[in-house]
Amino acid sequence: MSRSSPLPFACWLFESVLPGPYREAMLGDLVEEYTLRIDSTSSFTASIWFWSQACRSVPSMIRSSLRSRNCFISLSVATGIYLFIEMLKFAADFTISKLFAPGQSAHVVLAPIVFLLANAIGGCVAARIRRGAPTFLALLVTITVAVLIDLKGCSIPVPWWYQFGFLTLGPLSVLVAPAFLGRLKQRGLVM
Amino acid sequence: MKRGELLGSLEHIILLALVRADGDAHGMIVRREIEQRTGRNISIGAVYATLERLEEKGYVSSFTGQPTPQRGGRAKRLFRVEAAGKRALQISGQTIRSMTAGLKDRWGTI
Repeated sequence: MSRSSPLPFACWLFESVLPGPYREAMLGDLVEEYTLRIDSTSSFTASIWFWSQACRSVPSMIRSSLRSRNCFISLSVATGIYLFIEMLKFAADFTISKLFAPGQSAHVVLAPIVFLLANAIGGCVAARIRRGAPTFLALLVTITVAVLIDLKGCSIPVPWWYQFGFLTLGPLSVLVAPAFLGRLKQRGLVM
Repeated sequence: MKRGELLGSLEHIILLALVRADGDAHGMIVRREIEQRTGRNISIGAVYATLERLEEKGYVSSFTGQPTPQRGGRAKRLFRVEAAGKRALQISGQTIRSMTAGLKDRWGTI
């Protein structure tokens, strides 16, 4: 771990997840303070401070992003893309259920893959159209999954962690995929 | 500042921290100043969200500084208090003073 780029995974994750125009400046501040804290305390204490600051900042930044003047346009874009990914998921689920009976291990494995892939595609499209749209899209995905879990929308009995995976990884894939694609483009791996 | 509109408590504190910084300051300076003076450990996200709101209201302005290696190549966002922000601070301060005037006898120290 170099001093100039502390906690690269944490930086990458928060750079992907945090919305708002001051994201880069905020992460820069955290990195600067983190390097100062390493000198005065220990690397472990500084890491705990970094993670706690970054995690506590997420709700404020999301609230601020939702409150911003252009949120209506972002919400409209997100809603449109949400409908698009739902159609994509429906088509894929239909194909999978034709190939494998519900409850078969292949069906249980393929369903989350389709879900994450569709969300990631949606996130990338949303980010391309409008910068703030992935945040709204992630919110829509979270609400839908939470409602489906509450309504026991899954006909096959699945363990709690399977549903929890949908609830956490679904919105995360929407937010992380555009940043991941950006990195690949920077390295020239994707056109 | 519109008539009757008061600064929120965090807005008030952050504007005062910027005034104390005496020049252009970035979010972490503001956060540190508040932590040292009030003991409140607020998140950097809350500071930036409030600064964004203050900028929308025209109380502060901001510009991007140079990226530095200490910040992992990220640029600073520097903020300064504008005349409207100073006016808002004066009005808010005056309101608090007016509301607390005469309460010292009843409550002791305020």
